[in-house]
Amino acid sequence: MSDMSDTQTAPAGLTGAGPAGRIITLKQRSARWGLLFLTPWFIGFVAFQLLPIVSTIFLSFTDYNATTEFKPGNFNMVGLDNYARLFNDPQLLQSLSVTLKYVVIAVPIGLVVPLMFAVLVNSRHLLAPNIFRTLFYLPTVIPIVAAVMVFQGMLNAQSGWINLGLKAVGIEGPRWLSDPDWAIPALSLLGLWGVGNAMLIFLGALQGVPTELYEAATIDGANGVQRFFRITVPLISPVIFYNITLGVIGAFQYFVVAMLIGGRNGDPQGATLFYNLHFYRTAFVFNEMGYGSVLALLLFVIVMILTAIMFFFGQRVVYYAGSEG
Amino acid sequence: MATKKLRVTWPASLTTVIAIAILPVLTACGTPAASPTPVAAPTDTPATAPQSSATDTPTAQASAPPSPTVPPTVVTGGEGCAAGATRLVWYVGLGAGGDAEVIPKEKAWVDNFNKSQSEACLILQVVHNPESYDTLKAMLAAGTAPDIVGPVGKAGRASFQGAWADISPLAQKSGFDLSKYDPALLDFTKDEGVLVGIPFALFPSFIYYNKALFDEARLPYPPHKVGEKYQGKEWNLDTLSELAQKLTVDANGNDATSPNFDPKNITQFGYYEQFTDARGIAALFGGGLPYDPADPKTAKIPDNWRAAWKWYYDSIWKYHFAPNADYQNSDLLAKGNPFSSGNVAMAHTHTWYTCCFDVKKLNWDIAVMPSVNGKITAKLHGDTFAILKQSKNQELAFKVISKMVVDKDLYQIYGGMPAIPEDRPEFFKTLSERVAPNKVDWSVAEEMVKYPDLPNHESWLPNLIKANDLFTKFRTLMDQTPGLDMDKEIDKLQQQLDAVFKEAP
Repeated sequence: MSDMSDTQTAPAGLTGAGPAGRIITLKQRSARWGLLFLTPWFIGFVAFQLLPIVSTIFLSFTDYNATTEFKPGNFNMVGLDNYARLFNDPQLLQSLSVTLKYVVIAVPIGLVVPLMFAVLVNSRHLLAPNIFRTLFYLPTVIPIVAAVMVFQGMLNAQSGWINLGLKAVGIEGPRWLSDPDWAIPALSLLGLWGVGNAMLIFLGALQGVPTELYEAATIDGANGVQRFFRITVPLISPVIFYNITLGVIGAFQYFVVAMLIGGRNGDPQGATLFYNLHFYRTAFVFNEMGYGSVLALLLFVIVMILTAIMFFFGQRVVYYAGSEG
Repeated sequence: MATKKLRVTWPASLTTVIAIAILPVLTACGTPAASPTPVAAPTDTPATAPQSSATDTPTAQASAPPSPTVPPTVVTGGEGCAAGATRLVWYVGLGAGGDAEVIPKEKAWVDNFNKSQSEACLILQVVHNPESYDTLKAMLAAGTAPDIVGPVGKAGRASFQGAWADISPLAQKSGFDLSKYDPALLDFTKDEGVLVGIPFALFPSFIYYNKALFDEARLPYPPHKVGEKYQGKEWNLDTLSELAQKLTVDANGNDATSPNFDPKNITQFGYYEQFTDARGIAALFGGGLPYDPADPKTAKIPDNWRAAWKWYYDSIWKYHFAPNADYQNSDLLAKGNPFSSGNVAMAHTHTWYTCCFDVKKLNWDIAVMPSVNGKITAKLHGDTFAILKQSKNQELAFKVISKMVVDKDLYQIYGGMPAIPEDRPEFFKTLSERVAPNKVDWSVAEEMVKYPDLPNHESWLPNLIKANDLFTKFRTLMDQTPGLDMDKEIDKLQQQLDAVFKEAP
């Protein structure tokens, strides 16, 4: 439909005169207001997202060192040198390996545990369910840095409550934060602190499962486990998929906790040298902004590919009620 | 059809019990951590030290904030400045000066300074140490760098290699007499041959000891004078090690010399190398450089460093008189600030450490360093105020720092021993008032200045930031890992250093 036809069909009073007496259609007026309201976002997007992305791409072709002002003369264009360095960086493989290890351990835990909690707090047989929902969610509102401080105390091999508890029953606890083999399990344990969000999402999904399906299954003789795996899981599979996707992306962006627990060196012995920590060290400790930018871009590519793969397979295993029929 | 939730026969009480059982996991009440002390960095530079110590290593920025309250970034507005005075930004945070307790004193000093003259209007910017490095980098990148930075030591400056202005021509132009300083001290303030500041304060190292723990063990205090014997024995590292073992006690009351000693349940330690990296530990056995002087791009760990690291490693894992990383970060040892806990009998660190423990409450004094192979080495830190190349007012900035480096109030604010010897008696008098009722024998500090580590443990290295990073990791490795073949590990470090040195432009 053309603008003219809009003008012609616009009710009286919904058109107006522009500065030069030009007729403004309803659609144009709407578009102007829409753009006006979008402007703050657009400015923010350009200033804080687009510009940094473009800068990162540009920096990746330079040898800019962060101790000097970013201006011509203070850096050289180095072509693809920074990209070539990816193939000779031993810490890149180490950091990817640490991150993948964390994905393999923490993502399933971060999926199963909140699902179990959600099932628990969704149970009709739980007394005062709202109180438990609140209590399970409560740790999520505590700032992560504060949570890490608490966990550092808890996980200390000498005076931490976990090891003191194990000692009380005759078990010598591991050196959680100083043994490379235990660092990732310790971080995964720490990750349980914030399962409240995922639990709430699962809870919402569980409450959306039609109960008549359960009733029919029960009449057909299905037991609880069968009902859970054959009705609940398929019906909440979009939410499971959503949480897996967020979990994997989150794992690749894992930084604050690793930095606070393992320091910027990824201790013990590089066991917590996550990809983002490697990027941080390169760009902000060693001041190598060029190579740091390449690492940032590589992270983007990795996450994009992983997300694409997940969506590719997700289409095959996730049940979307709306797509049927 | 109305939907109804399916009722499953499951005891409500059991469901509730499960829910209650899970709660403690989520609400995990670990021992409240007063300060987040990262596992990785506790040994580099303190948790508390980065803010208060005058000298820190670049690794200090990684340390989580040590003090219970993290001071925010503070920027003064130039109150009290004369009209038309040139604005100069003084950036504090890379070394001392970020402590919440110190900031009001700094502000007061700036106010007084601004009122005392009409040429410069000093704007104070204090940034919490862990963030101060990134903040300064952002300012440099944006072309909005401050004019004056400090106090800052060698290692702090190393993170901004090439960003500092050469002071010499500024001194010459303003007629400032640098010859009144000891040439060795001036050398100490040079980075890669460039004088980047005027010597301000010195921070010699020595042994801090807890008198109460010595009294309890009925052992005499360690010597306060060089050459003094300890229980008839020469005050050397063997004597110190033996003493430290006697002062290390397990939960059953056995000391580390007892065959029944339980290293897994230690309640008191004899000795600790507080807040330094592997190079700082190595300096115990004398100064050195980790490269071939004829070819700085070829790494070569000096033999005395190898010996020092082996001694230190054994002190943790063989003789157990020094705490490992888990103990260092435990409640027992104040989560990364061991001497302050009152459970460490002796700690080796610098004058600036008076910032970082309750100097009035703990019953303490200081002793001289023991000799190693007949030679005493007391590693030394030295701080200055530096001017950034980006500053558009370098000459005026120089005028200001030439006043700052001789200011008696600033010595006290930062706990640094004046670089000019004549100013020291007054400095120690005020410091003594601060630590009262303890009576600390400050002659030890003055004596230890005479035994600096040469070359200094913070001296220049090719590719310094990455090299320091390796030294920090190496200390953490020693602190965290039992059963190491130290010769093999040192060889590995040498290889890594070699690669890093060769990367240097």
